[in-house]
Amino acid sequence: MIEGILVEGLIFGILALGVFISFRILDFPDLTVDGSFPLGAVTAGSCLQAGMHPLLALLLAFIAGGAAGTITAIIHNKLKVPNLLAGILTMTMLYSINIRVLGNRANLPLLKIRTVIDDVMVLTEPHLSYTVSLLLFFLIVFFIIKILLDIFFMTDMGLSMGAMGNNEQMVITLGVNPEAMKIIGLSLSNGLVGLSGALFAQYQGFADVNLGQGIVVSGLAMVMLGEFLIRSNKIYFLTFRVLLGAILFKAIMFYGRYYGYYIHLTPNDLKLITGLLIILSLTISKMKDRDLLKSFRGKK
Amino acid sequence: MKKLTTLFLSLFCLSAFVFASGQQETAAPAEKGAETVKPIKIGITKIVSHPALDALEQGAMEVILESYPDAQFDLQNANGDMNTASSIAQKFKSDKVDLAIGIATPTAQALANTLKTTPVLYSAVTDPVDAGLVESYDQGGAYITGISDMTPVKDQIALLASLTEIKTLGHIYSSSEANAVRLAEMAREACAELGIEFIETTVSNSAEVKQATQAIIGKVDGIYISTDNTVVSALSAVSDVASRAGIPIMSADPSSAEENQILIAWGFDYYKMGKAAGRMAVEVLGGKKTSDIPTAYMTSVDDIDLLVNLDLAAQLGITIPADLQKKAATLIKNGEIIKQ
Repeated sequence: MIEGILVEGLIFGILALGVFISFRILDFPDLTVDGSFPLGAVTAGSCLQAGMHPLLALLLAFIAGGAAGTITAIIHNKLKVPNLLAGILTMTMLYSINIRVLGNRANLPLLKIRTVIDDVMVLTEPHLSYTVSLLLFFLIVFFIIKILLDIFFMTDMGLSMGAMGNNEQMVITLGVNPEAMKIIGLSLSNGLVGLSGALFAQYQGFADVNLGQGIVVSGLAMVMLGEFLIRSNKIYFLTFRVLLGAILFKAIMFYGRYYGYYIHLTPNDLKLITGLLIILSLTISKMKDRDLLKSFRGKK
Repeated sequence: MKKLTTLFLSLFCLSAFVFASGQQETAAPAEKGAETVKPIKIGITKIVSHPALDALEQGAMEVILESYPDAQFDLQNANGDMNTASSIAQKFKSDKVDLAIGIATPTAQALANTLKTTPVLYSAVTDPVDAGLVESYDQGGAYITGISDMTPVKDQIALLASLTEIKTLGHIYSSSEANAVRLAEMAREACAELGIEFIETTVSNSAEVKQATQAIIGKVDGIYISTDNTVVSALSAVSDVASRAGIPIMSADPSSAEENQILIAWGFDYYKMGKAAGRMAVEVLGGKKTSDIPTAYMTSVDDIDLLVNLDLAAQLGITIPADLQKKAATLIKNGEIIKQ
């Protein structure tokens, strides 16, 4: 229960942060995520298998994801390919790369290999139960990343990145190079996605090249659910509500499995529900916007 | 622009050399009058790489090499992707292989659809009629026959229920695998006959397995895992959740049970199934018609592979009868894997 919703919510919250950066801050619908999530998983898996320190493996997974994002940005910038297609191209190529990284296999069990989870358990074993220490660890990881991101988006570079997502033409007139911004933004976004994939692989005990199927849509659903929960334009709220969205999404999926059984809803319908959730969140957000406008006009 | 084109072309040619060097060298057929001594070409394709299917491939190759020492094998793996499975079949067709072996349902289906005039052997296919590979179990098709890995689902569930009280049985399977869906139906029927409540949940990929297990673990007394490739590849996620909740797992795949916390695994030795497929391949290469060979089953006592985890049984407070311990080919006792 706690594991299925809160722990997975925290791990996928990191993925949702990445999706939030590309879709919301950069206004760049980036489908690389479907490839960079398993890329992070297989990179960390292979490193751990080679006996590397788990933290180093996580760092490498972050770098690998970042490299994938950079490739997408370069394809988009230099070849003037539309952003959706650039992401799809990278995602497609990554499928082969992921299999190569795993050494021409599609699946790597991590049970007998020392992972970051094992390291955490060794530290907390005498004091806390397995679930609580997992929860605590991922809570700390998520908030470290969240706070670092908040600080980054307060800097000049972070602010101009947000401004570019809003109005690219204006930023160009101010003398900011949008191409460089896209490279930095996308590599940061996909780096987080890769890190999330690496953590998820270690949490579930195996890395698989098919982990990423449709994951970008889940990430987007998490971002939109979060927007539906809290309305704000403060960056620390924005990054926090992404986590709430991720936890809510995981809860909906968990209870869909749990109780859907009684109303003849099979888990095969979950993808349909995901799509409907996104549409619903969008509709409600749009309606709220209109209400807000009306209330402003009423005051004037 | 011209320079760029030249650069790209030369890179392309270079990479072609690099990738080609990974391919096996094919010996030029030595022409000797009417009789050409051509090495036999055999294509083997599997849907994913996991221990059971790898053992099957190994067994088949060993038996074929005994009769045809210079046989050339083209080993392919679709990595879980149906599109790749079709392109592998196309490759075998253009390479003009003498015989193709498809391991698991999707790859066998791709071979059957593509290779109309080359003998195809399927193996590790649960229900070849349901998968549309052959018309009936009693005879093969014009160019296709093979071995089924239909597991005795009802006996497996009955065995688990005889060891510990099972009021409700949980089952996780992937809805996109024909094998898994068929086995889930059989498990559902078996539970109805045995008077056990059956709680099922499906996944569409391996990333959902852990959450799916957590969703049903509170409602079940035991978990049954069939020979479902997706779930077996994520078995560590299932066994992790189940062992924390103190729920026994009965699996139909012994080869993956050694690494995970599985109480009992009852299946075949896939290596032996590979050997049987190899013997069938030798028969077909020797000129026997596939239509004369019925679908084979792994039913003899020697083929059954039983694994019992005594350490886990002790943890769960389940006593394993001595005769069952005798039957087991593999026992896990005091952290050691004992083969007997």
